[in-house]
Amino acid sequence: MLRLSLRTRRTLLPYLFLGPGLLWLIVFFAIPLVNQLGVSLMTGNPEQGYTLQWHWATYSHAISDYGTQFGRSVLYAGAATILDLVIAFPLAYFIAYKAGRFKNFMLLLVVLPFFTSYVLRTVSWQLILNDNGWVVHRFQDLGLLSSDGRLLATTGAVIAGITYNFLPFMALPLYVSLEKIDRRLIEAATDLYASRTTAFRKVTLPLALPGIFAGSLLTFIPACGDFINAALLGTPNQYMIGNVIQSKFINILDYPTAAALSFILMAAILVGILIYGRLLGTKSLREAV
Amino acid sequence: MPEPRDADVERALERLLFEGPRGVNRRRFLGRGGAAALGLTALGSALAGCSIEGEAQNRVNVSKPVEVNHPKASMAGLVWSNWPLYIDKHSLKQFDKRYGVNVKYVEEINDNFEFFGKVRQQLAQGQDIGRDIVTLTDYMASRWVRDGYCTPLDKKNIPNAKNLVSNLRSINYDPHRTYTMPWQSGGTGIGYNPKKTGRKLESVNDLFDPAFKGRVTMLSEPYDTACLVLLGMGIDASTAKIDDILKAIDKISKAKDDGQIRRFTGNDYTTDLAKGNVWVCVAYSGDLVQLQADNPDLEFIYPKEGAMLWTDNLMMPKPTAHPYGAEVLMNYYYEPEVAAKVAAYVNYISPVDGAKEVLLKTDPDIANNPLIFPPDDVRKRLYPYPALNPTDERAMQSAMANVTGA
Amino acid sequence: MLRNDRVRNGMLGVWSTLALLYLFIPIFIVILYSFNDNKGRFNFTWQGFTFKHWAHPFANSDLTTALTNSLIIALATTIIAVALGTFMALALVRYGFRGKGVTDMFVFLPLATPEVVLGAALLGMFLTAHIDTGMVTIIIAHVMFTVSYVVVTVRARLEGMDRHIEEAAMDLGAAEWTTFRKVTLPMIAPGVAAAALLAAAISVDDYVVTSFNAGSTQTFPLYIFGATRQGVPAEVNVLATMLLLAVLVLMGLNVLLQRHLARRDRIATGGGFDGGPDADEEEAPFELAEATARG
Repeated sequence: MLRLSLRTRRTLLPYLFLGPGLLWLIVFFAIPLVNQLGVSLMTGNPEQGYTLQWHWATYSHAISDYGTQFGRSVLYAGAATILDLVIAFPLAYFIAYKAGRFKNFMLLLVVLPFFTSYVLRTVSWQLILNDNGWVVHRFQDLGLLSSDGRLLATTGAVIAGITYNFLPFMALPLYVSLEKIDRRLIEAATDLYASRTTAFRKVTLPLALPGIFAGSLLTFIPACGDFINAALLGTPNQYMIGNVIQSKFINILDYPTAAALSFILMAAILVGILIYGRLLGTKSLREAV
Repeated sequence: MPEPRDADVERALERLLFEGPRGVNRRRFLGRGGAAALGLTALGSALAGCSIEGEAQNRVNVSKPVEVNHPKASMAGLVWSNWPLYIDKHSLKQFDKRYGVNVKYVEEINDNFEFFGKVRQQLAQGQDIGRDIVTLTDYMASRWVRDGYCTPLDKKNIPNAKNLVSNLRSINYDPHRTYTMPWQSGGTGIGYNPKKTGRKLESVNDLFDPAFKGRVTMLSEPYDTACLVLLGMGIDASTAKIDDILKAIDKISKAKDDGQIRRFTGNDYTTDLAKGNVWVCVAYSGDLVQLQADNPDLEFIYPKEGAMLWTDNLMMPKPTAHPYGAEVLMNYYYEPEVAAKVAAYVNYISPVDGAKEVLLKTDPDIANNPLIFPPDDVRKRLYPYPALNPTDERAMQSAMANVTGA
Repeated sequence: MLRNDRVRNGMLGVWSTLALLYLFIPIFIVILYSFNDNKGRFNFTWQGFTFKHWAHPFANSDLTTALTNSLIIALATTIIAVALGTFMALALVRYGFRGKGVTDMFVFLPLATPEVVLGAALLGMFLTAHIDTGMVTIIIAHVMFTVSYVVVTVRARLEGMDRHIEEAAMDLGAAEWTTFRKVTLPMIAPGVAAAALLAAAISVDDYVVTSFNAGSTQTFPLYIFGATRQGVPAEVNVLATMLLLAVLVLMGLNVLLQRHLARRDRIATGGGFDGGPDADEEEAPFELAEATARG
């Protein structure tokens, strides 16, 4: 039996930890995805079939034809992410610091709406926001809407839908990173005559950065590829890149374009993550602590 | 004391693990990462076989009926895939009892294209998709028939096929009903709220009435919407050519740009109509039957220029494990009493002659509902979907997708 | 300064309540409409109050099977994804190794891939490998895309976490595995719990990827999406409400159990060390800070 040194054992450990999950992702995600990469370079049609021709023009056509939808997706997802951050941060703060023994219970409440179906939740919003409903009338009274204005089938409705459906993805990571902040650090800051606001700004916020980073990514990334909110709550002028990909794949059977669009989206998101990570400086933060 | 062998191994391991600095710098990583990516691509392409099969390999000629023989065989393990809530379960239980079987009934079809996407690969490779009967709408049935994905029916096992209503005895993509037997039909017409519109509607072109600006929805499926609009332009949609259809889609596109159309929908126009968000919709007959139960104000019309009649068809994929059993099942549902039960539950248009007569005795409201049993003068202006060749169909879908923004 | 604190805490509480209300408004509608006396098959026009849908909620065996399947899948997915993802997160945060940067980015990719491509590509692979689609393939697919969420969530907990306690434990002679079990795991427990909740929620609500890889198995979202063509029956609302209530009851029992255990531990150790996560322990430093500020 091999008796490895502590040093070797310690070094093998990350691979052991990483191994099973990574293997799962490689087999069930990477390989099918690489296959799709091949598909994006194919040419053909549903009748004659598709063959791999290394047809890179699909990518340039995809960008030029659907640039608007790409832009829209980034805009809507970005707006929803910011809104989610604003809504979820105080909520996560409250659960982390003030909820006491009800912490887990409140966390559960945040996630519970997911256990009803997406369809039911969206139909409920359609009922609540319908043109002749209570909400729209109050908005009209307050002058926020014209007398024949509407809330449904608008950009606002789509962004609101995305915000609503991704709120738990922002709230939970925020909570997770807020909760672990040692309260004594804040206490020390206030002992040193910092006001509560300054303590928040200089101690809590920077330490919550990993959570903000994680939450924004978990919200923004999937929101970019969303199509259901635009389909149910929007008009063709709100359709996002997810709608295009869905239609190309399922209805028009244009697999190469659908695959190309997906890869462009993924590449853009990866670049975005790198930039965002740099901006927030999470790397240096990791080193500092 | 470790054996020399172990020491060698350990040294080798250490060399492997500790070679190079920890936290390899980015430039080296991407190099390695890039190499890995290329390697994976090569692997993936190999796996992909570098191609996707086309559908045109087994093109089928439907102009001649096909004689086929499916002798009596065991029906155990029969699988029927259908749309949800599209059958009354009781009739199926009766079937099970009568023939001593246990039909596996799976409500997995939510959308024709979505279902096709699931089984396309197996069909193209001639593999058994594990279902003996599937229920698909005309344009998808047409695709399967044309591509040779269907097993022909042995009509000797379906004597009740004689009960098929006359206007469905033949259809453009399956003139002799060799491969398909209608399950239920539905009408695509106009659903509207007379209280909101202020008048009764009669024509397809009421969809374009500027008085209803922003209060109209249309279905995103071009077979329904573009063909209905085509009828309103005075052209027979069921024999239309792609140029005409594209003209209709142009008209829809202009209306959308003018703000006439609020949204393009799937089945979700029903909430908008029920809540008064929209006043006029391209709608399905069966939906209005349900909506009217809660909102008696709502109306459905088969426009005077005509309406589209779509049918969901029972078909056997190719290959299928239980062709005899499938045909016996189809035959069962062409008995007027059974068809009547189904029509009473599903509230769509029954393709079986005699069902109405049965219902007149038991459920006269349903029997006399023109949305479920359209009268003869209406039947004359019901048009099936056109049978387009694949290139034209793709052109139509693409054009419509551009309008609906997808 | 105390009054400002109270006002601030009050506002936090109000905001949180509003946020939770916002999350639950559609749910209240869903629950409400389970009592709707609808005549047709659609359920969006209020007709009056009735208990008729609650009379036989499990009568629709397809619906019940679909719901059961979804719950089983969610449970299996959560367990597997949390196990795989937590260890991945530990590896990524704590250790440097070859390929770390690439793996970092790689983990984000499933989140970025549109579901339709994810589902179809995976189905293609299953078909090529002649694997029958059904429960198992659904679980495989769900684990595949929830692992990323778990990794990201647990990382948010791990990053910047104080390693001194673990090092102290090992200095005191604890083996690595014991340290891991008794020190590390409890410290990351909130992150793991949050990740588990997320994974379960995503799994139970997934439609697109599931629809490709389900074969003839029905899940709750698949059933409901399909039912929208004919009208989602109110029994769906009933079952959804029952599910919510069941989860809430289970959680409430958990809270009571924790309180009981904590009280028992406190009595056993004579009022010293607390057995479990309890309000007193967390709030002590806060109260100290407040007392200082007051004084």
